[in-house]
Amino acid sequence: MVLDPHDFMAKMADRISFTSEDRALLKSSASWGAEIAPDMADRFYSFLGRDEEMNAILNASEGRIHRLRETFVDWFAEMFTGMEDDWGTSYADRRWRIGLIHVRIGIGPQHVVPAMAVVVQAVGERLRAEGKSAALQDSLSKICMIDLAFIEQAYVEVTAAAVLKETGWTEGLFRRLITSGAGTM
Amino acid sequence: MAINTEKLGIVLQNFVTATSDVQGAALVTPDGLPLAASLPGGMDEERVSAMSAAMLSLGERIGQELARGGVDRIYVEGDKGYGILTSCGEDAVLLVLADQKAKQGVLMLEIKRAVAEIKLILN
Ligand code: HEM
Repeated sequence: MVLDPHDFMAKMADRISFTSEDRALLKSSASWGAEIAPDMADRFYSFLGRDEEMNAILNASEGRIHRLRETFVDWFAEMFTGMEDDWGTSYADRRWRIGLIHVRIGIGPQHVVPAMAVVVQAVGERLRAEGKSAALQDSLSKICMIDLAFIEQAYVEVTAAAVLKETGWTEGLFRRLITSGAGTM
Repeated sequence: MAINTEKLGIVLQNFVTATSDVQGAALVTPDGLPLAASLPGGMDEERVSAMSAAMLSLGERIGQELARGGVDRIYVEGDKGYGILTSCGEDAVLLVLADQKAKQGVLMLEIKRAVAEIKLILN
């Protein structure tokens, strides 16, 4: 069941219409992206810090928050560069790994979706304040949604794969149980 | 070769009517799809099938984890009767429902015979 990140990336880019124009626009703004990344990280972590549950996760181990700040800055900048392979295999692998890490820590859709909403909003404010184009905002929103899809899909895939592994159930059986169970809710 | 579901249906039907205290039976795939069923009225065939496959598979995993070896059958004993799951090879699981009066020894023997017959049709 566990997914091929590259196929998933291609499928999401297609569904979200993440075009070559979007890519070109992001690349041309890469230095601006790197410049605002630390500010975005501040906004992001102050948002997470205001939530009791997420704050506890962030401070669960020594130095975690500092490590995270750095990884967030890299992550943010990578959305603009496509990681040197034009949002290809290394980008997809990296996004999938980010997804897996969050699943392991138990961070689910209820945490990640609002967090990504904050990123989209914060970046929108900066774009407007600096008179950047609406087209750039669209391109950024698209890549944010692709990254979000990776984290969400990892959550579903890993949860299901773990159940299959522990129970020996086939994928078909698992889907059938979900369908019949959901039908009774 | 296509599985002869008609023949399977007849075998199950005969098993249910000819074996005393048996109330119903179903043959399902490991994916939880019904191959043939003769269940008491009011039971949801689709759900029963999915649950049967889930239960047998989980039982086999428990057998492994607890070092109980290969699992011959899964036995559910309730105050209204029994539910017995037996593997029929790779492709199917047999569920048998019997009431509380059923004599276990006789029932197990009958199930063994039915499984042998089903396996012949499946192979
Ligand atoms: C927009 C959503 C999010 C993005 C883009 C994001 C980004 C990242 C990245 C890039 C990493 C590093 C992965 C690596 O080591 O390779 C990471 C790890 C982590 N994230 Fe997130 N994250 C998001 C949401 C959240 C939320 C909502 C929480 C909740 C508190 C969270 C907590 C963590 C933790 C605890 C780690 C592991 C840190 C460690 O190494 O100990 N993240 N995240």
